[in-house]
Amino acid sequence: MIRTHFALRLTMLYPSQFDVIVIGGGHAGTEAALASARMGLKTLLLTHNIETLGQMSCNPSIGGIGKGHLVKEVDALGGAMAAATDEAGIQFRILNSSKGPAVRATRAQADRVLYRQAIRGRLENQPNLWLFQQAVDDLILEQDRVVGVITQLGLRFQAKAVVLTAGTFLAGLVHVGQSNYQAGRAGDPPSITLAQRLREIQLPVKRFKTGTPPRIDGRSLDYSVMVEQPGDDPAPAFSFLGSSAQHPRQLPCWITQTNLRTHDIIRGGLDRSPLYTGVIEGVGPRYCPSIEDKIMRFSGKDSHQIFVEPEGLNTHEIYPNGISTSLPFDVQVELVRSIQGFENAHITRPGYAIEYDFFDPLGLKHSLETKLIQGLFFAGQINGTTGYEEAAAQGILAGINAGLSAQGKEAWYPGRDQAYLGVMVDDLITRGVVEPYRMFTSRAEYRLMLREDNADLRLTEEGRLLGVVDDARWRCFVEKREAIAREQERLKSVWVNPKLLPQEDAERVLGKGIEREYSLLDLLRRPDVSYSDLMTLTGAGVGVGDSKVAEQVEIQAKYQGYIARQQEEVARHQHYEAMALPLSLDYREVHGLSIEVQQKLNQHKPETLGQAGRVSGVTPAAISVLLVHLKRSQKISDEKKSA
Amino acid sequence: MVSTDIIAAIATAHGRGGIGVVRVSGEDLSGLANSILGKTPVPRVATLSNFLAADGEVIDQGIALYFPAPHSYTGQDVLELQGHGGDAVLRRLLGRCLELGARPALPGEFTQRAFINDKMDLAQAESVADLIDAATTEAAITAMRSLRGEFSYAIHQLVEALINLRMLVEATLDFPEEEIDFLEESNALNQLAAISAQLDKVFRQSNQGSLLREGLHIVLIGQPNVGKSSLLNQLAGEEVAIVTPVAGTTRDAIRQHIAIEGVALHFIDTAGLRVTEDEVEKIGIARTWSAIQQANAALLLIDAAKGIASADLDIIAKLPADLPLLRVFNKVDLLGHEPRVDAAGGVVDIYLSAKTGAGIDLLHEHLLRVVGWQTGAEGVFMARERHLSALREAKERLSLAAACEGRVEFFAEELRLAQNALSSITGEFTSDDLLGEIFSRFCIGK
Repeated sequence: MIRTHFALRLTMLYPSQFDVIVIGGGHAGTEAALASARMGLKTLLLTHNIETLGQMSCNPSIGGIGKGHLVKEVDALGGAMAAATDEAGIQFRILNSSKGPAVRATRAQADRVLYRQAIRGRLENQPNLWLFQQAVDDLILEQDRVVGVITQLGLRFQAKAVVLTAGTFLAGLVHVGQSNYQAGRAGDPPSITLAQRLREIQLPVKRFKTGTPPRIDGRSLDYSVMVEQPGDDPAPAFSFLGSSAQHPRQLPCWITQTNLRTHDIIRGGLDRSPLYTGVIEGVGPRYCPSIEDKIMRFSGKDSHQIFVEPEGLNTHEIYPNGISTSLPFDVQVELVRSIQGFENAHITRPGYAIEYDFFDPLGLKHSLETKLIQGLFFAGQINGTTGYEEAAAQGILAGINAGLSAQGKEAWYPGRDQAYLGVMVDDLITRGVVEPYRMFTSRAEYRLMLREDNADLRLTEEGRLLGVVDDARWRCFVEKREAIAREQERLKSVWVNPKLLPQEDAERVLGKGIEREYSLLDLLRRPDVSYSDLMTLTGAGVGVGDSKVAEQVEIQAKYQGYIARQQEEVARHQHYEAMALPLSLDYREVHGLSIEVQQKLNQHKPETLGQAGRVSGVTPAAISVLLVHLKRSQKISDEKKSA
Repeated sequence: MVSTDIIAAIATAHGRGGIGVVRVSGEDLSGLANSILGKTPVPRVATLSNFLAADGEVIDQGIALYFPAPHSYTGQDVLELQGHGGDAVLRRLLGRCLELGARPALPGEFTQRAFINDKMDLAQAESVADLIDAATTEAAITAMRSLRGEFSYAIHQLVEALINLRMLVEATLDFPEEEIDFLEESNALNQLAAISAQLDKVFRQSNQGSLLREGLHIVLIGQPNVGKSSLLNQLAGEEVAIVTPVAGTTRDAIRQHIAIEGVALHFIDTAGLRVTEDEVEKIGIARTWSAIQQANAALLLIDAAKGIASADLDIIAKLPADLPLLRVFNKVDLLGHEPRVDAAGGVVDIYLSAKTGAGIDLLHEHLLRVVGWQTGAEGVFMARERHLSALREAKERLSLAAACEGRVEFFAEELRLAQNALSSITGEFTSDDLLGEIFSRFCIGK
């Protein structure tokens, strides 16, 4: 929608000033606004539509491998996503439950309406937070600093920092077959004016695409030929403070699959596919390919899985996860009806692909502040990521740093060894993105330390210092942390004597007798010994009742050797991570760097030597050269000082 | 001072010679070449030319070779001026280059530039120095193999195999909802066993190379007149490096160097190891003992007629427990015995005559075997201790991985560390785009 009312434009200055303005009410924007307000800063959340705050625009699920980790981290910093999911989740599962704790992850199907309500309720009840419905058209800049925003009606809002979370709304273009139209997502207008303005201030803009499947009326499906996929029983809670008692009624998901006929139908429609006729130029994610992509790239596969996910408790709509498509609608109908159980399916909303602007994240600092404009922070899909969880995690980081910036304080961000959030931001700003960025555990080199189960231990204390963790969470956290430490001390001090250990106990719990005295902690380190079994050993005393505490004691004991080694690795790299590279450094002046590396580093402007080493194409040789250069310039400046 | 500056050096050895070469490297040498040659040289064509001074006087006449970037040793423009090999004329030629804006190259700087410009990786760059320093023909051949990238290639292959395996492991961890059991399907444990076997082979080859590079340090024990000098002379045979006593002072560890099959052997003489009150002599003795701690083997030489002396036994008792020991019974000719080997009971006893040379071949064979040298083994890599320790680390990680059975996240961790260790050898960060590999191989995603 292009504005036609220039002449009617108001130019009113809104009477009160804000510390932080957040533009956008999606998963990034809501976490950013809540975090900033929790820090006590006067915060304004501007959205084009208050009704869609917290909208889940793609599949109705939260979490998954890597993503669940991010949600728990946002939670550990006092964020809303996990708690809202506990109120809205209609199916909960722990993925990878047969594998180790580091790669286990929580995933929930959520009722869209309940989720929106849960988020909206939090926003409306958050002190220091104001909501205002109005699209933003422009930023107000003073030199290279942002000082406010101008809305569609010409209202001017002033603030010390601005967080932009425009999602796919920037110059969004929706494709269904050969037809396309401008939109933010299906049913919402795009932000064209703001996109143009941002292009004008020379922020590096690129284009991605993503897509969704057609939605189906569940009453038209035959579930009897599908495989039921129930949730876990008991259902896990997502939030540190959550419990399964909060969960609404639970529903199963269903699994079916495509077949050769489906594939033929798709092939027959490719001549009218915007993807295969060159209409769509943006790059899409490889791990979430459209069904036409799957069939073309993996022509050897006879069928592909489809997860049939309920959209909510009070709707018949379902989300057929796995057949995202932008084929023409007539082809969508035919392909959907070729699927087992979908023979009579009624499509309620066509599937579509959407192309949108994003900003090259190489232009950001670790704090998510843009390098070009002070006080302007970017979070979420506009940084080239995909997924609610990735957006929420960036949102909370940007909100915290916008708050710190408004207070004139130093930026905060977690390291790669501290959080998936740290891994993601470092990846984004160091390596840039060639496709929409999604979190996976394999992106984290310190995966064994970054688990869902210890997100609170990794981040809540920092969150408390930053002011985003409230008293209730802090009390629970401290209690748990102390209980873990107490139990660890106890296990260390209780010794099991081989002479006093009944043979039956030894075999049942330990598999065989012991040849010398061991502490309970030593025994717990053994791979096959569980905490609960160990507590049944004669003389083991009474274990802790809180299963979360017991779990943590057990995992820490089992992982200890690996964690210690990863910590050594972290310490070895710490040196480089602590060496700052000045933004003003012109790498062409650094003796000994190849021209390619000079260009790369001038383009990326890494913040530390450690980050420079992760820029693609920067060799260890180049890092040694930089090290020498840094030492030399340090020496020169020292000499100048003493002179 | 930027990396584009011009460096120059006399590339040939110091002293008189038929030909002497001045080598120049820099981002743009056209100006320098024009000034010194009076014309623009044709790339990669040997051209007879005058080498001109600033006033147009001819410094020397010779062959000019011009390699424009990037197809040169350093990856920059390289100019080689092959003149007559005299100190004075070469120094003038170099001086002329410096006058034209070059600066004297630091040691190894040409190779460093080649490394920085990705003309060679770290292992290759190291082998340049090894090639130049090689003391024996075998060492030179081996260094050349490494320079040609054969060692790096072997490492690359291992890293690639590891990445392939890691891809499957990571896919298993990150995509549990797919229908594929990646590990089962790919027979991960078999893949691991194959990689381990290949790594063991590379390790053996590198260990050989390390022996070639470093040589072997052998403790020589024996009483005066037992025939140590004749034994060493016999061992050296007709090889180039004949017995050359190198003694810093008479009180330092006395070392003698010979070469067998291209392997340099350094003998540490224990003759001076006795109880003494002399402070200076005590320092010398301490040094000998510390040399002994680093040794690869000990050789005890015994007069076959007299048997082992008690002084020898005292020394043997103080040797490191795991040091391989060869006992050589000399002068069997005097007893009328035939040379022979008795390896029963763990200790190798060799009976020979240093004077006649009878049985020396047996000693040859066993001396090298006892320290792990494989005669005639193919594909030796010139390896440094740095490489060996990285290979050892990788081996250790792979065997720990094999023991992880079922605990996939630990399995994955050991493989990651193994890959890190291997990658440190060539100094390259592999693209490590495991996810990219996964997506190109499997249809992933809902």
